[in-house]
Amino acid sequence: MATATDQVVGFGLVAFSLVLFVYYTIWIIILPFIDSDHGIHQYFLPREYAVIIPVAAGLLLLLFIGIFIAIVMWKSRKPVKKSD
Amino acid sequence: MTKLGQWLWGLALLGSAWAALALGPLGPRVPPPCRQVLLPLPVYLLVAFGCYSLATVGYRLATFNDCEEAAAELREHIGAARADLRRRGLRF
Repeated sequence: MATATDQVVGFGLVAFSLVLFVYYTIWIIILPFIDSDHGIHQYFLPREYAVIIPVAAGLLLLLFIGIFIAIVMWKSRKPVKKSD
Repeated sequence: MTKLGQWLWGLALLGSAWAALALGPLGPRVPPPCRQVLLPLPVYLLVAFGCYSLATVGYRLATFNDCEEAAAELREHIGAARADLRRRGLRF
């Protein structure tokens, strides 16, 4: 059995990704087929954000990965030996 | 054909199908709500795949089987090996 923290974090991740998936699916796939005067539309941002937000988040993720790699490579430099 | 080639080939096929329907000549013939669903479809698939990956990682983290006795036994072995090597002169 995994530790209690592991289980909480693990199932938390599962729940979070499930919520995200359901919300995004409704936003992209279901909403266009619902009349624009239905009350459900108030819970969703305008459609452009459905593309802008994931693209921006993806770019941010790439940025952080790049910064992480740069830091790790910087730290693992070997000092250059000077030969007299 | 290599696996990479197969994946790229499949992606190219799906991508060109999407481009033909969403951006290309058939555009106006698709009914408006379907068009609205079709255009963000690549981003949607990417997000769906990301959600699936996150859920898989979380689920496997939660259901991983720790072996407490094996871990303790391994720590013991490591300690014994260190003491032995230190006795024989290897400096850590």
